[in-house]
Amino acid sequence: MGWPGHRLAITLFVTVIVVWIAVMAVLMRRSSLPPEASGPMLAVFEPGTAADDIFARLTFAGARPVRQTAFSFIWVVAGDEPGLAGRLAAQGAIGAYRELPLNPSIAGCFALADAKIAEYAGI
Amino acid sequence: MDRIEKQVPWYFTPTVVIVAGCLVAIVNFGVRSSFGLFTAPISEAHAWPREIFSFGLALQNLLWGIATPVAGALADRYGAARVIMVGAVVYAIGTCLMAIADTPILFHLSAGIMVGVGIAMSSFGIVMAALGRIVPPERRSWAFGIATASGSLGQFIFAPLGAALITAYGWQHALMILGVSSLLIVAFAVPLLVQNTSSTTLTKDEADITMGQAIGGAFGHRSYMMLVAGFFVCGFQLAFITVHLPPYLAEHGISKEFAGLAMGAIGLFNVVGSYTSGMIGGKYHKRVPLSLIYILRSLSIIGFISFPITTTTTMIFTATMGLLWLSTVPLTMGLVIVMFGTRYMATLYGFVFLSHQIGSFFGVWLGGRLYDAYGNYDVVWWLSIGLGLFAALVHLPIKEVRATKFAAA
Repeated sequence: MGWPGHRLAITLFVTVIVVWIAVMAVLMRRSSLPPEASGPMLAVFEPGTAADDIFARLTFAGARPVRQTAFSFIWVVAGDEPGLAGRLAAQGAIGAYRELPLNPSIAGCFALADAKIAEYAGI
Repeated sequence: MDRIEKQVPWYFTPTVVIVAGCLVAIVNFGVRSSFGLFTAPISEAHAWPREIFSFGLALQNLLWGIATPVAGALADRYGAARVIMVGAVVYAIGTCLMAIADTPILFHLSAGIMVGVGIAMSSFGIVMAALGRIVPPERRSWAFGIATASGSLGQFIFAPLGAALITAYGWQHALMILGVSSLLIVAFAVPLLVQNTSSTTLTKDEADITMGQAIGGAFGHRSYMMLVAGFFVCGFQLAFITVHLPPYLAEHGISKEFAGLAMGAIGLFNVVGSYTSGMIGGKYHKRVPLSLIYILRSLSIIGFISFPITTTTTMIFTATMGLLWLSTVPLTMGLVIVMFGTRYMATLYGFVFLSHQIGSFFGVWLGGRLYDAYGNYDVVWWLSIGLGLFAALVHLPIKEVRATKFAAA
Protein backbone atom coordinates (compact mmCIF):
# COMPACT_ATOMS: atom_id res chain seq x y z
CA MET A 1 0.00 0.00 0.00
CA GLY A 2 1.59 3.31 -1.10
CA TRP A 3 1.84 6.10 1.44
CA PRO A 4 1.41 9.67 0.30
CA GLY A 5 4.08 12.32 0.76
CA HIS A 6 4.91 15.94 0.06
CA ARG A 7 2.80 16.02 -3.09
CA LEU A 8 -0.28 15.27 -0.99
CA ALA A 9 0.63 18.02 1.48
CA ILE A 10 1.07 20.60 -1.27
CA THR A 11 -2.11 19.53 -3.08
CA LEU A 12 -4.12 19.60 0.15
CA PHE A 13 -2.89 23.02 1.27
CA VAL A 14 -3.27 24.58 -2.19
CA THR A 15 -6.80 23.15 -2.53
CA VAL A 16 -7.80 24.45 0.89
CA ILE A 17 -6.45 27.91 0.06
CA VAL A 18 -8.24 27.98 -3.31
CA VAL A 19 -11.54 27.00 -1.64
CA TRP A 20 -10.90 29.61 1.05
CA ILE A 21 -10.31 32.36 -1.50
CA ALA A 22 -13.49 31.37 -3.35
CA VAL A 23 -15.55 31.50 -0.15
CA MET A 24 -13.93 34.82 0.81
CA ALA A 25 -14.80 36.19 -2.65
CA VAL A 26 -18.47 35.30 -2.15
CA LEU A 27 -18.50 36.87 1.31
CA MET A 28 -16.70 40.02 0.11
CA ARG A 29 -19.31 40.41 -2.65
CA ARG A 30 -21.95 40.41 0.06
CA SER A 31 -19.97 43.05 1.93
CA SER A 32 -19.69 45.41 -1.04
CA LEU A 33 -21.78 48.51 -0.56
CA PRO A 34 -24.48 49.91 -2.86
CA PRO A 35 -24.02 53.50 -4.18
CA GLU A 36 -26.45 54.96 -1.63
CA ALA A 37 -24.48 53.63 1.38
CA SER A 38 -22.82 55.86 3.97
CA GLY A 39 -21.01 55.38 7.29
CA PRO A 40 -17.59 53.78 7.85
CA MET A 41 -16.27 51.84 4.89
CA LEU A 42 -13.19 50.56 3.09
CA ALA A 43 -12.49 52.52 -0.10
CA VAL A 44 -10.36 50.70 -2.65
CA PHE A 45 -8.60 52.60 -5.43
CA GLU A 46 -6.54 51.41 -8.35
CA PRO A 47 -3.15 50.16 -7.07
CA GLY A 48 -0.44 52.67 -7.91
CA THR A 49 -2.65 55.72 -7.41
CA ALA A 50 -0.69 58.37 -5.52
CA ALA A 51 -1.68 58.87 -1.88
CA ASP A 52 -2.10 62.65 -2.41
CA ASP A 53 -4.37 62.00 -5.37
CA ILE A 54 -6.48 59.56 -3.33
CA PHE A 55 -6.69 62.01 -0.45
CA ALA A 56 -7.99 64.69 -2.82
CA ARG A 57 -10.56 62.31 -4.30
CA LEU A 58 -11.77 61.32 -0.84
CA THR A 59 -12.22 64.99 0.01
CA PHE A 60 -14.16 65.65 -3.20
CA ALA A 61 -16.41 62.69 -2.40
CA GLY A 62 -17.14 64.11 1.04
CA ALA A 63 -15.43 61.19 2.79
CA ARG A 64 -13.61 61.68 6.06
CA PRO A 65 -10.33 59.73 5.89
CA VAL A 66 -10.07 57.64 9.06
CA ARG A 67 -6.81 55.86 8.29
CA GLN A 68 -4.67 54.55 5.50
CA THR A 69 -3.93 50.80 5.49
CA ALA A 70 -0.56 49.20 4.83
CA PHE A 71 -1.50 49.55 1.14
CA SER A 72 -1.59 53.19 0.08
CA PHE A 73 -4.53 52.62 -2.26
CA ILE A 74 -6.87 51.24 0.42
CA TRP A 75 -8.34 53.65 2.96
CA VAL A 76 -10.77 53.40 5.84
CA VAL A 77 -13.13 56.34 5.45
CA ALA A 78 -16.40 57.57 6.95
CA GLY A 79 -19.19 59.90 6.02
CA ASP A 80 -22.72 60.50 7.23
CA GLU A 81 -24.33 61.80 4.05
CA PRO A 82 -26.13 59.11 2.03
CA GLY A 83 -24.57 58.19 -1.29
CA LEU A 84 -20.96 58.17 -0.09
CA ALA A 85 -20.18 54.85 -1.82
CA GLY A 86 -21.53 56.21 -5.09
CA ARG A 87 -19.56 59.45 -4.78
CA LEU A 88 -16.40 57.45 -4.09
CA ALA A 89 -17.05 55.41 -7.23
CA ALA A 90 -17.51 58.65 -9.19
CA GLN A 91 -14.11 59.74 -7.87
CA GLY A 92 -12.47 56.60 -9.22
CA ALA A 93 -12.76 54.12 -6.33
CA ILE A 94 -13.07 50.61 -7.74
CA GLY A 95 -14.98 49.38 -4.71
CA ALA A 96 -16.47 50.31 -1.34
CA TYR A 97 -16.95 47.72 1.39
CA ARG A 98 -18.36 47.47 4.85
CA GLU A 99 -15.53 47.55 7.36
CA LEU A 100 -14.45 44.06 8.38
CA PRO A 101 -13.64 43.42 12.06
CA LEU A 102 -10.16 42.50 10.91
CA ASN A 103 -6.87 44.16 10.18
CA PRO A 104 -7.83 46.73 7.51
CA SER A 105 -4.79 45.85 5.41
CA ILE A 106 -5.78 42.18 5.23
CA ALA A 107 -9.42 43.13 4.67
CA GLY A 108 -8.21 45.51 1.96
CA CYS A 109 -6.41 42.68 0.13
CA PHE A 110 -9.66 40.74 -0.15
CA ALA A 111 -11.56 43.89 -1.04
CA LEU A 112 -9.10 44.66 -3.84
CA ALA A 113 -9.34 41.12 -5.19
CA ASP A 114 -13.13 41.30 -5.17
CA ALA A 115 -13.20 44.80 -6.69
CA LYS A 116 -10.93 43.71 -9.55
CA ILE A 117 -13.02 40.59 -10.22
CA ALA A 118 -16.20 42.67 -10.14
CA GLU A 119 -14.59 45.24 -12.47
CA TYR A 120 -13.57 42.60 -15.03
CA ALA A 121 -16.88 40.73 -14.72
CA GLY A 122 -18.83 43.95 -15.04
CA ILE A 123 -20.83 43.25 -11.89
CA MET B 1 -1.69 -8.88 -1.34
CA ASP B 2 -3.12 -7.01 -4.31
CA ARG B 3 -6.44 -8.72 -3.78
CA ILE B 4 -6.61 -7.48 -0.17
CA GLU B 5 -5.78 -3.92 -1.22
CA LYS B 6 -8.67 -3.90 -3.67
CA GLN B 7 -11.08 -4.79 -0.86
CA VAL B 8 -10.27 -1.65 1.11
CA PRO B 9 -13.04 0.94 0.54
CA TRP B 10 -11.77 4.15 -1.04
CA TYR B 11 -12.57 6.15 2.10
CA PHE B 12 -10.20 3.97 4.16
CA THR B 13 -7.22 4.38 1.82
CA PRO B 14 -4.15 6.09 3.34
CA THR B 15 -4.50 9.27 1.31
CA VAL B 16 -8.16 9.74 2.22
CA VAL B 17 -7.55 8.96 5.89
CA ILE B 18 -4.71 11.48 6.16
CA VAL B 19 -6.63 14.17 4.25
CA ALA B 20 -9.63 13.53 6.50
CA GLY B 21 -7.49 13.95 9.61
CA CYS B 22 -6.09 17.19 8.23
CA LEU B 23 -9.55 18.55 7.43
CA VAL B 24 -10.69 17.77 10.98
CA ALA B 25 -7.67 19.69 12.32
CA ILE B 26 -8.35 22.65 9.99
CA VAL B 27 -11.96 23.07 11.11
CA ASN B 28 -11.28 22.32 14.78
CA PHE B 29 -8.47 24.86 15.11
CA GLY B 30 -9.99 27.29 12.64
CA VAL B 31 -13.41 27.88 14.17
CA ARG B 32 -12.01 28.65 17.62
CA SER B 33 -9.42 31.04 16.20
CA SER B 34 -12.20 33.34 15.02
CA PHE B 35 -13.83 33.70 18.46
CA GLY B 36 -11.75 36.76 19.37
CA LEU B 37 -13.57 38.69 16.62
CA PHE B 38 -16.81 38.33 18.57
CA THR B 39 -15.51 40.09 21.70
CA ALA B 40 -16.85 43.52 20.76
CA PRO B 41 -20.16 42.57 19.10
CA ILE B 42 -21.23 40.16 21.85
CA SER B 43 -20.16 42.48 24.68
CA GLU B 44 -21.89 45.45 23.05
CA ALA B 45 -25.07 43.55 22.18
CA HIS B 46 -25.61 42.47 25.79
CA ALA B 47 -24.02 45.55 27.39
CA TRP B 48 -21.60 43.24 29.18
CA PRO B 49 -18.18 44.32 30.41
CA ARG B 50 -15.37 42.66 28.40
CA GLU B 51 -14.60 40.51 31.42
CA ILE B 52 -17.59 38.25 30.77
CA PHE B 53 -16.45 37.36 27.28
CA SER B 54 -12.83 37.06 28.40
CA PHE B 55 -13.75 34.75 31.25
CA GLY B 56 -15.74 32.57 28.86
CA LEU B 57 -12.72 32.14 26.56
CA ALA B 58 -10.35 31.65 29.52
CA LEU B 59 -12.66 28.91 30.77
CA GLN B 60 -12.67 27.42 27.28
CA ASN B 61 -8.86 27.19 27.24
CA LEU B 62 -8.79 25.68 30.71
CA LEU B 63 -11.45 23.10 29.83
CA TRP B 64 -9.61 22.31 26.60
CA GLY B 65 -6.55 21.41 28.65
CA ILE B 66 -8.37 19.51 31.38
CA ALA B 67 -10.61 17.58 28.99
CA THR B 68 -7.81 16.53 26.64
CA PRO B 69 -6.48 13.60 28.75
CA VAL B 70 -10.08 12.45 29.33
CA ALA B 71 -10.88 12.73 25.62
CA GLY B 72 -7.62 10.90 24.94
CA ALA B 73 -8.60 8.08 27.30
CA LEU B 74 -11.98 7.79 25.57
CA ALA B 75 -10.27 7.78 22.18
CA ASP B 76 -7.87 5.07 23.30
CA ARG B 77 -10.77 2.98 24.55
CA TYR B 78 -13.52 3.61 22.01
CA GLY B 79 -11.64 4.85 18.98
CA ALA B 80 -10.60 8.35 17.96
CA ALA B 81 -13.23 8.79 15.24
CA ARG B 82 -16.15 8.30 17.59
CA VAL B 83 -14.73 10.72 20.13
CA ILE B 84 -14.04 13.30 17.41
CA MET B 85 -17.61 12.99 16.10
CA VAL B 86 -19.18 13.43 19.54
CA GLY B 87 -16.78 16.30 20.22
CA ALA B 88 -17.77 18.00 16.98
CA VAL B 89 -21.44 17.88 17.94
CA VAL B 90 -20.69 19.35 21.38
CA TYR B 91 -18.48 21.99 19.71
CA ALA B 92 -21.25 22.89 17.24
CA ILE B 93 -23.97 23.12 19.88
CA GLY B 94 -21.73 25.20 22.14
CA THR B 95 -20.86 27.60 19.31
CA CYS B 96 -24.49 28.00 18.24
CA LEU B 97 -25.53 28.55 21.86
CA MET B 98 -22.95 31.35 22.10
CA ALA B 99 -25.04 33.20 19.53
CA ILE B 100 -28.19 33.10 21.62
CA ALA B 101 -26.73 33.15 25.14
CA ASP B 102 -28.14 36.26 26.78
CA THR B 103 -26.92 35.71 30.32
CA PRO B 104 -23.32 35.40 31.52
CA ILE B 105 -24.00 31.93 32.95
CA LEU B 106 -25.35 30.59 29.67
CA PHE B 107 -22.45 32.21 27.82
CA HIS B 108 -19.88 30.62 30.12
CA LEU B 109 -21.64 27.28 29.81
CA SER B 110 -21.65 27.43 26.01
CA ALA B 111 -18.48 29.34 25.05
CA GLY B 112 -16.50 28.12 28.03
CA ILE B 113 -17.48 24.61 29.00
CA MET B 114 -19.20 23.13 25.93
CA VAL B 115 -16.85 24.61 23.34
CA GLY B 116 -13.80 23.81 25.50
CA VAL B 117 -14.82 20.18 25.86
CA GLY B 118 -15.83 20.00 22.18
CA ILE B 119 -12.45 21.36 21.06
CA ALA B 120 -10.62 18.87 23.27
CA MET B 121 -12.58 15.92 21.92
CA SER B 122 -12.09 16.87 18.27
CA SER B 123 -8.63 18.43 18.47
CA PHE B 124 -5.58 17.47 16.47
CA GLY B 125 -4.21 15.58 19.49
CA ILE B 126 -6.96 13.02 18.99
CA VAL B 127 -6.50 13.15 15.21
CA MET B 128 -2.79 12.45 15.61
CA ALA B 129 -3.58 9.52 17.89
CA ALA B 130 -5.72 8.04 15.11
CA LEU B 131 -3.05 8.70 12.48
CA GLY B 132 -0.39 7.27 14.79
CA ARG B 133 -2.18 3.92 14.77
CA ILE B 134 -2.96 3.93 11.07
CA VAL B 135 0.30 5.18 9.60
CA PRO B 136 3.40 2.94 9.64
CA PRO B 137 6.17 4.04 12.05
CA GLU B 138 8.41 5.41 9.31
CA ARG B 139 5.67 7.80 8.11
CA ARG B 140 4.27 8.78 11.52
CA SER B 141 6.28 11.90 12.13
CA TRP B 142 5.42 13.18 8.67
CA ALA B 143 1.72 12.49 9.36
CA PHE B 144 1.93 14.39 12.66
CA GLY B 145 3.63 17.23 10.81
CA ILE B 146 0.94 17.53 8.15
CA ALA B 147 -1.84 17.28 10.77
CA THR B 148 -0.27 20.03 12.90
CA ALA B 149 0.38 22.17 9.83
CA SER B 150 -3.29 21.75 8.89
CA GLY B 151 -4.36 23.01 12.30
CA SER B 152 -2.09 26.02 11.78
CA LEU B 153 -3.57 26.60 8.33
CA GLY B 154 -7.05 26.47 9.88
CA GLN B 155 -6.09 29.22 12.29
CA PHE B 156 -4.72 31.29 9.44
CA ILE B 157 -7.73 31.03 7.14
CA PHE B 158 -10.63 31.10 9.59
CA ALA B 159 -9.90 34.50 11.16
CA PRO B 160 -10.57 36.45 7.91
CA LEU B 161 -13.44 34.08 7.16
CA GLY B 162 -15.04 34.81 10.54
CA ALA B 163 -14.60 38.55 9.99
CA ALA B 164 -16.18 38.37 6.54
CA LEU B 165 -19.06 36.31 7.94
CA ILE B 166 -19.72 38.91 10.64
CA THR B 167 -19.73 41.70 8.05
CA ALA B 168 -21.91 39.82 5.58
CA TYR B 169 -24.46 38.26 7.94
CA GLY B 170 -24.08 39.86 11.38
CA TRP B 171 -22.39 38.31 14.41
CA GLN B 172 -25.24 36.02 15.48
CA HIS B 173 -25.65 34.38 12.09
CA ALA B 174 -21.88 34.26 11.71
CA LEU B 175 -21.59 32.27 14.94
CA MET B 176 -24.39 29.96 13.82
CA ILE B 177 -22.64 29.38 10.48
CA LEU B 178 -19.34 28.67 12.25
CA GLY B 179 -21.14 26.32 14.64
CA VAL B 180 -22.80 24.42 11.81
CA SER B 181 -19.52 24.32 9.86
CA SER B 182 -17.87 22.58 12.81
CA LEU B 183 -20.29 19.72 12.11
CA LEU B 184 -18.22 19.12 8.96
CA ILE B 185 -15.83 17.44 11.37
CA VAL B 186 -18.35 14.60 11.77
CA ALA B 187 -18.18 13.84 8.05
CA PHE B 188 -14.42 14.36 7.88
CA ALA B 189 -13.91 11.89 10.75
CA VAL B 190 -15.62 9.00 8.97
CA PRO B 191 -12.44 7.69 7.31
CA LEU B 192 -10.76 7.69 10.73
CA LEU B 193 -13.16 4.89 11.74
CA VAL B 194 -10.60 2.59 10.14
CA GLN B 195 -8.51 3.16 13.27
CA ASN B 196 -8.73 0.43 15.88
CA THR B 197 -9.22 0.94 19.59
CA SER B 198 -6.85 0.01 22.39
CA SER B 199 -8.38 -3.42 22.85
CA THR B 200 -7.36 -4.49 19.38
CA THR B 201 -4.13 -2.66 18.65
CA LEU B 202 -1.61 -4.34 20.88
CA THR B 203 1.47 -4.60 18.76
CA LYS B 204 4.24 -7.15 19.21
CA ASP B 205 6.57 -4.74 21.00
CA GLU B 206 3.99 -3.41 23.49
CA ALA B 207 3.27 -4.84 26.94
CA ASP B 208 -0.31 -5.78 27.78
CA ILE B 209 -1.07 -3.27 30.56
CA THR B 210 -4.19 -1.42 31.70
CA MET B 211 -4.76 2.29 31.19
CA GLY B 212 -4.27 2.92 34.91
CA GLN B 213 -0.94 1.09 34.80
CA ALA B 214 0.01 3.07 31.70
CA ILE B 215 -0.72 6.44 33.33
CA GLY B 216 1.08 5.42 36.53
CA GLY B 217 4.01 4.06 34.55
CA ALA B 218 4.30 7.21 32.45
CA PHE B 219 4.29 9.52 35.45
CA GLY B 220 6.99 7.37 37.03
CA HIS B 221 9.12 7.63 33.89
CA ARG B 222 11.76 10.35 34.05
CA SER B 223 11.82 11.10 30.32
CA TYR B 224 8.04 11.59 30.25
CA MET B 225 8.19 14.06 33.12
CA MET B 226 10.89 15.98 31.24
CA LEU B 227 8.61 16.10 28.21
CA VAL B 228 5.74 17.36 30.37
CA ALA B 229 7.98 20.05 31.86
CA GLY B 230 9.23 21.10 28.42
CA PHE B 231 5.75 21.43 26.96
CA PHE B 232 4.79 23.74 29.84
CA VAL B 233 7.39 26.15 28.48
CA CYS B 234 5.95 25.89 24.98
CA GLY B 235 2.53 26.91 26.28
CA PHE B 236 4.02 29.73 28.35
CA GLN B 237 5.94 31.26 25.46
CA LEU B 238 3.17 30.99 22.86
CA ALA B 239 0.43 32.37 25.09
CA PHE B 240 2.63 35.21 26.32
CA ILE B 241 3.54 36.25 22.79
CA THR B 242 -0.02 35.87 21.46
CA VAL B 243 -1.55 38.04 24.15
CA HIS B 244 1.21 40.46 25.08
CA LEU B 245 3.18 41.03 21.87
CA PRO B 246 0.60 43.42 20.33
CA PRO B 247 0.62 45.80 23.33
CA TYR B 248 4.44 45.50 23.52
CA LEU B 249 4.68 46.53 19.87
CA ALA B 250 2.27 49.42 20.46
CA GLU B 251 4.51 50.67 23.26
CA HIS B 252 7.38 50.74 20.78
CA GLY B 253 5.48 52.73 18.21
CA ILE B 254 4.45 49.91 15.89
CA SER B 255 1.00 50.55 14.47
CA LYS B 256 -1.94 48.30 15.31
CA GLU B 257 -2.33 47.52 11.60
CA PHE B 258 1.26 46.36 11.25
CA ALA B 259 1.05 44.40 14.50
CA GLY B 260 -1.94 42.56 13.01
CA LEU B 261 0.04 41.70 9.90
CA ALA B 262 2.99 40.57 11.99
CA MET B 263 0.76 38.28 14.05
CA GLY B 264 -0.65 36.92 10.79
CA ALA B 265 2.91 36.08 9.72
CA ILE B 266 3.17 33.80 12.75
CA GLY B 267 0.20 31.80 11.45
CA LEU B 268 1.57 31.52 7.95
CA PHE B 269 5.10 30.51 8.92
CA ASN B 270 3.66 28.14 11.51
CA VAL B 271 2.31 25.97 8.67
CA VAL B 272 5.79 25.65 7.17
CA GLY B 273 7.46 25.09 10.55
CA SER B 274 5.04 22.40 11.71
CA TYR B 275 5.31 20.44 8.49
CA THR B 276 9.10 20.70 8.37
CA SER B 277 9.37 19.62 11.99
CA GLY B 278 7.34 16.50 11.21
CA MET B 279 9.73 15.66 8.38
CA ILE B 280 12.80 16.23 10.57
CA GLY B 281 11.32 14.12 13.37
CA GLY B 282 11.03 11.18 11.02
CA LYS B 283 14.72 11.28 10.12
CA TYR B 284 16.57 12.21 13.31
CA HIS B 285 16.32 11.76 17.08
CA LYS B 286 13.34 13.85 18.10
CA ARG B 287 14.80 15.27 21.29
CA VAL B 288 17.61 17.08 19.44
CA PRO B 289 15.45 19.18 17.09
CA LEU B 290 13.01 19.73 19.97
CA SER B 291 15.82 21.07 22.11
CA LEU B 292 17.04 23.18 19.20
CA ILE B 293 13.58 24.73 18.76
CA TYR B 294 13.63 26.01 22.33
CA ILE B 295 17.18 27.33 21.97
CA LEU B 296 16.23 29.13 18.76
CA ARG B 297 13.14 30.60 20.43
CA SER B 298 15.31 31.98 23.22
CA LEU B 299 17.86 33.36 20.76
CA SER B 300 15.09 34.94 18.69
CA ILE B 301 13.68 36.67 21.75
CA ILE B 302 17.15 37.87 22.82
CA GLY B 303 17.72 39.28 19.33
CA PHE B 304 14.29 40.89 19.22
CA ILE B 305 14.47 42.72 22.54
CA SER B 306 18.16 43.65 22.17
CA PHE B 307 17.72 45.73 19.02
CA PRO B 308 15.47 48.72 18.47
CA ILE B 309 11.94 47.55 17.68
CA THR B 310 11.13 48.39 14.06
CA THR B 311 8.71 46.98 11.52
CA THR B 312 11.59 44.97 10.01
CA THR B 313 12.76 43.43 13.31
CA THR B 314 9.12 42.75 14.23
CA MET B 315 8.45 40.90 10.99
CA ILE B 316 11.71 38.92 11.28
CA PHE B 317 10.81 37.98 14.86
CA THR B 318 7.23 36.92 14.12
CA ALA B 319 8.28 34.94 11.02
CA THR B 320 10.98 33.16 13.05
CA MET B 321 8.62 32.46 15.93
CA GLY B 322 6.05 31.24 13.41
CA LEU B 323 8.51 28.66 12.12
CA LEU B 324 9.12 27.54 15.72
CA TRP B 325 5.48 27.90 16.91
CA LEU B 326 3.73 24.50 16.79
CA SER B 327 6.77 22.73 15.44
CA THR B 328 7.17 21.24 18.91
CA VAL B 329 3.92 19.25 18.52
CA PRO B 330 4.89 16.53 16.00
CA LEU B 331 8.14 15.91 17.88
CA THR B 332 6.45 15.78 21.29
CA MET B 333 3.74 13.41 20.07
CA GLY B 334 6.45 11.34 18.38
CA LEU B 335 8.36 11.02 21.64
CA VAL B 336 5.23 9.87 23.49
CA ILE B 337 4.85 7.05 20.97
CA VAL B 338 8.53 6.12 21.09
CA MET B 339 8.41 5.81 24.89
CA PHE B 340 4.97 4.23 25.34
CA GLY B 341 3.73 2.88 22.02
CA THR B 342 0.46 3.68 20.31
CA ARG B 343 -2.00 1.97 22.63
CA TYR B 344 -2.50 4.78 25.17
CA MET B 345 -0.89 7.60 23.24
CA ALA B 346 -3.97 9.85 23.16
CA THR B 347 -4.26 9.69 26.95
CA LEU B 348 -0.57 10.18 27.60
CA TYR B 349 -0.26 13.01 25.07
CA GLY B 350 -3.34 14.51 26.74
CA PHE B 351 -1.47 14.92 30.01
CA VAL B 352 1.48 16.50 28.20
CA PHE B 353 -0.95 18.90 26.54
CA LEU B 354 -2.54 19.73 29.90
CA SER B 355 0.89 20.90 31.00
CA HIS B 356 1.01 23.07 27.84
CA GLN B 357 -2.30 24.70 28.77
CA ILE B 358 -1.17 25.34 32.34
CA GLY B 359 1.91 27.00 30.84
CA SER B 360 -0.40 29.09 28.65
CA PHE B 361 -2.31 30.25 31.70
CA PHE B 362 0.89 31.37 33.41
CA GLY B 363 2.20 32.99 30.22
CA VAL B 364 -0.89 35.18 29.93
CA TRP B 365 -1.31 35.85 33.63
CA LEU B 366 2.32 36.46 34.57
CA GLY B 367 2.75 38.64 31.47
CA GLY B 368 0.15 41.02 32.89
CA ARG B 369 1.14 40.59 36.53
CA LEU B 370 4.83 41.31 36.00
CA TYR B 371 4.06 44.16 33.62
CA ASP B 372 1.98 45.78 36.36
CA ALA B 373 4.76 45.19 38.89
CA TYR B 374 7.67 46.52 36.80
CA GLY B 375 5.96 48.78 34.29
CA ASN B 376 7.40 46.91 31.30
CA TYR B 377 7.67 43.45 29.77
CA ASP B 378 11.44 43.04 30.26
CA VAL B 379 11.19 40.61 33.17
CA VAL B 380 8.72 38.36 31.33
CA TRP B 381 10.82 38.37 28.15
CA TRP B 382 13.85 37.25 30.17
CA LEU B 383 11.75 34.72 32.05
CA SER B 384 10.64 33.38 28.68
CA ILE B 385 14.27 33.18 27.51
CA GLY B 386 15.29 31.38 30.70
CA LEU B 387 12.41 28.93 30.43
CA GLY B 388 13.34 28.28 26.80
CA LEU B 389 16.88 27.34 27.81
CA PHE B 390 15.48 25.20 30.63
CA ALA B 391 13.24 23.38 28.13
CA ALA B 392 16.19 22.86 25.79
CA LEU B 393 18.17 21.31 28.64
CA VAL B 394 15.41 19.03 29.94
CA HIS B 395 14.71 17.61 26.50
CA LEU B 396 18.29 16.58 25.79
CA PRO B 397 18.50 13.70 28.34
CA ILE B 398 15.20 12.17 27.18
CA LYS B 399 15.75 8.53 26.32
CA GLU B 400 14.22 7.74 22.95
CA VAL B 401 13.53 4.12 23.75
CA ARG B 402 10.46 2.20 24.86
CA ALA B 403 9.92 2.56 28.61
CA THR B 404 10.58 -0.74 30.39
CA LYS B 405 7.02 -1.22 31.69
CA PHE B 406 5.64 -0.62 28.21
CA ALA B 407 7.91 -3.05 26.36
CA ALA B 408 6.79 -6.59 25.65
CA ALA B 409 8.60 -9.14 27.80
